[in-house]
Amino acid sequence: MQSRIMLIEDDAVIREELRVLLTANQYDVGVIYDFGSVMQEIERFGPQLILLDINLPLEDGFRICAKVRTKYGIPIIFVTGRNTDMDELQSIMLGGDAFITKPYNTAILLAKIAALLKRAYPDCGEVALDCRGVRLHVERGTLEYQGQCVELTGNEQKIIYYLIRHAGKICPRADLIEYLWDNQMYIDDNTLSVNIARIREKLAGIGLSDFIRTKHRQGYIV
Amino acid sequence: MRLAEYLKDNIPAMILQVLCMVLLSLFLLSAGNTADTVGFVLLIWFAVAAAYMAWCYYRRCGFLKRLLDLTEELEEKYLIAELMEKPLRADDRVFYGILKLADKSMLERVAAAERENREYREQIEQWVHETKTPITAIRLLCENNPTAIQKPLLLELERLNHYVEQALYLSGSEHTEKDYRIRELTLVEAVHQAIAQNKQLLLQNQVQLCVEPCDITAYTDEKWLVFILSQLLNNAVKYKNDTPVIEFRITQEDERVLLAVADNGIGIPPEDMPRIFEKGFTGRNGRTGGRATGMGLYLCMKLCERLGVGLEACSDGGGRTVFTLIFYRNPFVGVR
Repeated sequence: MQSRIMLIEDDAVIREELRVLLTANQYDVGVIYDFGSVMQEIERFGPQLILLDINLPLEDGFRICAKVRTKYGIPIIFVTGRNTDMDELQSIMLGGDAFITKPYNTAILLAKIAALLKRAYPDCGEVALDCRGVRLHVERGTLEYQGQCVELTGNEQKIIYYLIRHAGKICPRADLIEYLWDNQMYIDDNTLSVNIARIREKLAGIGLSDFIRTKHRQGYIV
Repeated sequence: MRLAEYLKDNIPAMILQVLCMVLLSLFLLSAGNTADTVGFVLLIWFAVAAAYMAWCYYRRCGFLKRLLDLTEELEEKYLIAELMEKPLRADDRVFYGILKLADKSMLERVAAAERENREYREQIEQWVHETKTPITAIRLLCENNPTAIQKPLLLELERLNHYVEQALYLSGSEHTEKDYRIRELTLVEAVHQAIAQNKQLLLQNQVQLCVEPCDITAYTDEKWLVFILSQLLNNAVKYKNDTPVIEFRITQEDERVLLAVADNGIGIPPEDMPRIFEKGFTGRNGRTGGRATGMGLYLCMKLCERLGVGLEACSDGGGRTVFTLIFYRNPFVGVR
């Protein structure tokens, strides 16, 4: 099931692009255009998480946060350009769960959203990913194929996860490396090759060969 | 005030006294008094006049000394007119009045200048915060629309953001007391954040990073620390060699925690070393590279001083440069 995220942001471009980004990451996004009826919109949409800007027309984010908090316990992420510590403190005092400053790194934003959703709703997290008979158990960090299991290291898990999430598409090496950097694994080109080779070896061990294919000069594909 | 100076000021009065003495003597002698009588009268006169002058001198000296001592003790010397007792002598009161007026007009000027300065700084801060919105919009547009120029564009955005941040810290570098929050922080988290902020810079320069997982904490402000680390990363890349490696090392000693940022770049010439934290200093590397502003390390030092964090640099001149942040563990923190 897709998690519902409400987006409260008054800058039109950022609002639209965030909507695109979140939709692309399998979230159901609700957007507010009329800032006079924020509470009604929230009630109608019933979000599981709110992304809230501080500088808004009519009412600022702090007041909206306070209002939401009187009714719901849903996670609220403050997203703002004013990164003074006073704002951060106030957002925490009013019950905000996270405070992200512009210009935010989208990887960090997505990671925060995922972490908060997982904490608030422990049951609906991703447990396993399936692809061509291969099942990746995200929590356990293992890969299953025809009843056989193999354990993966942190790097390998992330690589497989990324490839399976983009199954059927060519994943350029640069994108893969960037994704790993976003997950705080600072590997370079050579290390990536080593990791891929090791994964292939492990897969061959459970009778799976040619799962990850190399597209010459383009990248990898599963 | 020395005695000689006081006497000099009183020369007219003394001449008058002497003149009167002479006239009185002439009068007394012509009236048939003996020289002895005249001499005796003059002696008495002289004694009384001298005693009076000594008393005046003593009082005056006391008054001036109190005033000088008071001024000495004052931190803001210009406030003396507010604190001194109102003088009794008429001419002193005139000077006192003038002093008060001068004081008032100066205080007004200082207040106006301070207000202007503060307003300007607030405007700059406001402006910086406003620019964050379009930068965010461009970033999102960039990331959502993969094109050939996406990555170079993101790198330029990182640079733009770094300079904008610099402006923010520069504008507030005198008055940032209100804008930091010291709390316990896992240092490696700040390192990860600084790397994330400069991801494109590091990736496109093919920098190899070494960050060991580590849970050592220190008490500091997260945002400032990330900015300092980001600045050090920028410098390391700016002065890199062909196969750049940047290493972060976090270690704990008894009373302090060290966060070292080591690179294998071109190094800092020994003759430049003592001055690298000076405002506007660019050094030999900066002159040959041509992109140094001389502000980066100055800002780092400034922020470190405010946070109570030590910042040391060492370089063997031909390769390895290490910047070390030193967090002092307050022995009172954590005591229950």
